[in-house]
Amino acid sequence: MNQSKHAPVVVGVGTTKFASERPDGNIRDLMAEAVLDCMADADLENLKAVQHGLTSYESDHFNRQMTLGAVLHDQIGLTPLPNVRIEGGGATGALALRTAWAHIQSGLCDSILVYGCETNGKGISSKTANQLFALSADFDWEMMVGGTYTAFYAAMIRAHMKQYGTTEEQFAHVAARNRSNALLNPIAQRGMDVSIDDVMKSIPIAEPYKLLDCSLLSDGAAVVLLSTEDWARQHSPKFKDRPAVHFTGTGCGTDTMRLGDRYPDITNFRGKQAAAQQAYQMAGIKDPLQEIDVAELYDSYSGVEIQAVEDLGFVNHGEGGPRIAEGMFDLDGQLPANTSGGLMGRGAPVGATGIVQAIEIVEQLWGQVDERRQVANAKRGLTDTHAGVGTMCVVNIFERQD
Amino acid sequence: MSEGQVKSKFDVQTIETTGHDPWADFREVEKLSLEFTQQYRHSLGKYSKFFIELENKKFLATQCGKCEKVFAPPRPLCPDCLDITIWKELAGTGTLETYSVIHFSPGTNDDVRQLETPYVLAYVLLDGASTLFPHVLKTDLDSIEMGMKVKIEYTDEPVDHPIHLMHFVPLEDE
Repeated sequence: MNQSKHAPVVVGVGTTKFASERPDGNIRDLMAEAVLDCMADADLENLKAVQHGLTSYESDHFNRQMTLGAVLHDQIGLTPLPNVRIEGGGATGALALRTAWAHIQSGLCDSILVYGCETNGKGISSKTANQLFALSADFDWEMMVGGTYTAFYAAMIRAHMKQYGTTEEQFAHVAARNRSNALLNPIAQRGMDVSIDDVMKSIPIAEPYKLLDCSLLSDGAAVVLLSTEDWARQHSPKFKDRPAVHFTGTGCGTDTMRLGDRYPDITNFRGKQAAAQQAYQMAGIKDPLQEIDVAELYDSYSGVEIQAVEDLGFVNHGEGGPRIAEGMFDLDGQLPANTSGGLMGRGAPVGATGIVQAIEIVEQLWGQVDERRQVANAKRGLTDTHAGVGTMCVVNIFERQD
Repeated sequence: MSEGQVKSKFDVQTIETTGHDPWADFREVEKLSLEFTQQYRHSLGKYSKFFIELENKKFLATQCGKCEKVFAPPRPLCPDCLDITIWKELAGTGTLETYSVIHFSPGTNDDVRQLETPYVLAYVLLDGASTLFPHVLKTDLDSIEMGMKVKIEYTDEPVDHPIHLMHFVPLEDE
């Protein structure tokens, strides 16, 4: 893989407010809202110069509408531009950005609007939502035996606890910290001031995971406009006014559909290790803990962040729990993680999740987030997103060029 | 439910706006309650023999002739060698490698709906297998221990999906 000197740049970003329910609109309306926000951010009056669209959404079921790519592309006025729809489970938004990276790098287009959304909130009952999410497990072997995603992750972290001595209090730290960070993020769905004790005492869902160890179901949309540096200079008046942020690395790794097929490697995400190594090589990163300043990690469940900091090479395997509990990844720690509030506090409308993770990183690098969560002089940031139980993992890296 | 002409209509609300609202003209939102059900003719494909033999109280894995790995759940194709596997019966005893106690279940079919929460989703390394098999472990919750020995128990009760012809129970000391 080449390490391009001409990595795509971020021209503009846009989001909706994330919520458990957006009673004022449906998925098309949310998409339009995020696109208008992106245009305002990049100071664009229209999107006529954009050359390509890319739709990011996971499920046809939540809106009972197939071909949402065509619907949304039309809604935001991108016809007759080319379009492609990307689906990668929980990693959909991150895979969409990775695909957009390739579109620019290949020369297929000079600019591409990556727009993602999902309405996982209250458009359907949470029971139906969980049934639909369960469809993304292996139907005959995992779902039909009464398995749930919370339980698959719970079985994984229990194996991690046995292997390394990781504790429930250690992952409760993640649940409390990310919800607290979300209080500082105006688009966040549900910031909360909760203690580790509150997390420990919340009702069990699939042991050892409790209610506050679980992330949110959300409605929301997010947009990133990527382009070559030349295109950005030519078309966005705002581009010269803030530091250029380049999309310098992307990696993707996969693992078996069923957790049990990975035996004995069931404590961590092998696909994430592979994705990180590719992204680091592309971005020229040798010591990720030292060279990355801010990270958005996929905290679908609190313990997943412990596994992630190990698999991303920030700490050794088995050290994730203690380092997290010591505050290494807190706002005032060595490598602040989930400054946005993560999936726990900001929310996770699936097709938008990987995109809004990137937006938090880009805005951190631009230095334009709320000062209470701004990481001082952040130069390089990472997003970590995955699908299934780490079945598909995507790591993307963004860097400010001074 | 509404008694009006639109039978599915269950809510119309006007969203309150504050300050400058670019969408001020679009603040009435109507909601419909709609159902959508599907019926599948679901093929179990080359995994079918596993499910057919469960009715005979036999547990089949598959084995790769090249690398000798034993797959439970079965795989018709070894993912490492891309060699077509052969069926191999296992004794049905094994070890609990990890688990979760499930308190909330979406109840995806009749078999799952009959499971009383809390129930245990167990990952079992069956004796002679190379992979973990996930299924329900029916046991006293206080007696669960990582590494405990378990065995397959077959049921004579009618089931919806054939995977529920079996589950795990603790292996009692002989």
